[in-house]
Amino acid sequence: MTKPNAQTSIFSGVTLAALAAVILMPLVLPSATLATEILIFAMAALGCNLLLGYTGLLSFGQGIFFGGGAYIASLSMIHLDFGLFGALVAAMIAGSLLATLVGALAIRRTGIYFVMLTLAFSQMAYFLAYTLSDWTGGDNGLLDVPRPALSLFGFELADLTSSYAFYAFVGVLFLAIFVFARRVIHSPFGTTLVAIRENEGRASAVGFSTNHFKLLAFVISGGITGIAGALYAMLLNFAPLSNIELLMSENILIMTIIGGTGSLLGSLLGAGTIVLLGDLLSSIWPRWMIILGVALIAVVLFMPSGLWGGVESQCKRWKERRCTAGKTSGKAQEAK
Amino acid sequence: MSLYLFQALNGIGLGMIYFLISVGLTIIFGLLNFVNFAHGAYYLLGSYLCFTLVSLTGSFWLALVIAPVVVAMLAWVTEKTLIRRAYHLPHTFHILITLGIALIIQELSIAIWGPIGKTVAVPDALSGVISIGDFFYPKYRLFVILFTAVIALALWLLLERTRFGALVRAGSEDAQTVSLLGTHIHKLFALTFALGVGLAGLAGVLAAPIRGVHPFIGPEVLGLAFVVVVIGGMGSFSGALVGGLVVGLVQSLMTTLWPQGASLMIYGAMAVVILLRPYGLFGRA
Amino acid sequence: MSDYILETENLGLRYGAFAALGSVDLKIRRGSIHTVIGPNGAGKTTLFHCLTGERRPSSGRIRFAGRDLTRQPPHKRVASGMSRSFQITSLFQNLSVRENLRLAAQGRDGLGALAFWYSDTHRQEHVRKADEVLERIKLTAQANTSAGDLSHGQQRVLEVGMALCSDPEMLLLDEPTSGMGVDDIPVMTRLISELGKDLTVMLIEHNMRLVMSISDRITVMHQGNILIEGDPDQVRGDERVKKAYLGESGS
Repeated sequence: MTKPNAQTSIFSGVTLAALAAVILMPLVLPSATLATEILIFAMAALGCNLLLGYTGLLSFGQGIFFGGGAYIASLSMIHLDFGLFGALVAAMIAGSLLATLVGALAIRRTGIYFVMLTLAFSQMAYFLAYTLSDWTGGDNGLLDVPRPALSLFGFELADLTSSYAFYAFVGVLFLAIFVFARRVIHSPFGTTLVAIRENEGRASAVGFSTNHFKLLAFVISGGITGIAGALYAMLLNFAPLSNIELLMSENILIMTIIGGTGSLLGSLLGAGTIVLLGDLLSSIWPRWMIILGVALIAVVLFMPSGLWGGVESQCKRWKERRCTAGKTSGKAQEAK
Repeated sequence: MSLYLFQALNGIGLGMIYFLISVGLTIIFGLLNFVNFAHGAYYLLGSYLCFTLVSLTGSFWLALVIAPVVVAMLAWVTEKTLIRRAYHLPHTFHILITLGIALIIQELSIAIWGPIGKTVAVPDALSGVISIGDFFYPKYRLFVILFTAVIALALWLLLERTRFGALVRAGSEDAQTVSLLGTHIHKLFALTFALGVGLAGLAGVLAAPIRGVHPFIGPEVLGLAFVVVVIGGMGSFSGALVGGLVVGLVQSLMTTLWPQGASLMIYGAMAVVILLRPYGLFGRA
Repeated sequence: MSDYILETENLGLRYGAFAALGSVDLKIRRGSIHTVIGPNGAGKTTLFHCLTGERRPSSGRIRFAGRDLTRQPPHKRVASGMSRSFQITSLFQNLSVRENLRLAAQGRDGLGALAFWYSDTHRQEHVRKADEVLERIKLTAQANTSAGDLSHGQQRVLEVGMALCSDPEMLLLDEPTSGMGVDDIPVMTRLISELGKDLTVMLIEHNMRLVMSISDRITVMHQGNILIEGDPDQVRGDERVKKAYLGESGS
């Protein structure tokens, strides 16, 4: 488990794989908008993974941070004339603050109660957004959300109205967050989170005040998810109420789990799979979410390390076969 | 004054329905030691079955008996086929499996009954109001209060006075002991799950004529049940009763003061309880 | 500096009318190996839990290294120089032995470990500490094995090793030989007496041969209170101790 330095460094194979995915997606997929949506949900799944995969906290509150980020970014652009970065920072702060609130209350309990509390807070946030319809637009959602140009110190660097330009911006941001998340999980903090996941009692006995660690995990997760929410509003030019619904939290959770908890590339894979599936199926069969339910149960029962875990073990098997097969490896590859 | 009495009665009726939902959740949690995240979806199913049975037969009374039984039987099948496989896994896995079940039930319901809500008429015998002096109250809502009180009593007797109840209570303490008694623990688990879920189905039937049937009600019901058990403490009959009534009354009385915020206030109440008494009003550390 | 590293004064814990711990005045001399024994239900574990902070005593005080830590939560006691092991093995099962120890060493940083902006390999001191402890508990060959894959005996040893990583002044060991096979017990005996040369060790233990061979001092508890205290020879010959243990088997 102690990894050699090369693996923990920022420019490792994992980061390169993420980079490759970001470059390839718009070339392979039918539209840049679809690719952007995948990256946005991959960010949200990364935030969720930090809690579920690394800290062992199953949170139904991710939609609060996603929706909160979307609302705050939109409102700051509409009413306060915030630019692109201003809105994103505002969304990040809003996500972190909401996560601090939810986290501080929910981690007062552990296990099942913790999960129930996050779900209850998610419902509360939904009703709050619904009630504050003067600000959020209620059921109709918040309309006419702008997508500001990329500018720095008043100089406009790029117009993001084209879907490819916006994709490029989201891609860079995604990679930055991906690298940041890698840094976090390989930091003293990240390794302590894993310790808490593995055995909270022991983590406390060796000197960690576990609640502080869980709370910081929430804050970071909330910040990342808030940014994702803001980008989603900019993508759609619209911040719907469904951003903050329980279903959003569930979707983010399902992406994280189906992709594979405890691996960052898994989050990208999970988000990609679900977003694509939704895009392909929703027009043919509006009730495609039944498949999500079935897939969730199947992954939990038969493939607990998710799709990415499956990919990893396939790779391992393939490598082993290549090593043991020796001369015949050429044929094996041909057959594939 | 009579407005507050009216709302208080409404709150009790609502609270008793919340009690039915939460006590099912609590019984399942007590014995099987996991939280059923599909609870709200089974409630939804109860409501829809009620709608179908009323439209087919025209009899609410038939629906009242058959719908919860059908829901319980479906739950029994789910336990046998799916949930059973996860008992040895951590509780996160149970949550995710039941979450999957909830999604499937909700989407199937929309596929069958459509995305638009349905209404269920109050049975003829209970339509109209009852009047005491100048106070009027809908007969059906009064019936709900009385009927749920009878169910609550029956449930209490079942848990406290029968062999089944004794086994459920003993199993909540230590599942191993019960299996040593020679009882088929698996059978007990399946029956308990069916009973708990059946109660959610019953709540769905009773609520249908009051609140209608809406395909996305599941998460709301689940959230409310969680608020009840967080306030009342998980695993206790009395906790579910008091928690249910508190939530029902708060929601109902708030409706007169601040209609939009009524649902919000319930969650606010829960946050306050968590801050002051993290283990619930009756909970122990 | 006082001769005693740990002193309790009138320490008690009641559950309603039942006193799990009556009134305990325990003094543990700096640098000694001090064992607490007693029949089941004597209050050893309750005493242990009060010392580690898992239970808050209902009366009395605990002084450690000159500081009152009666009301300190468990994780803060580590920073004061107190470290514990568990009766039921409590490891990070899916992590390697070295990572287990490295995390335990990192625990000393307390909130310093909240740093999320630099790589953990920056802190070479924790890795060094882990390797040092690996040597000490003779598990270097298993450094990269998952803790869950170790034999039970090795897990018990790692359990003690985890407690060593915070450089404690005093070790609290909760039945270190619990569940160990006969063959493994000498390993544990040697380890504890080695540790006793550098630090204060307090332990709860049932294995009388181990207790008698390594303890400098033994406290016998009975029904929530201290029955007697003395060196192994005094305890071995004491009639009251025999009676207390006989009473247990008689009932």
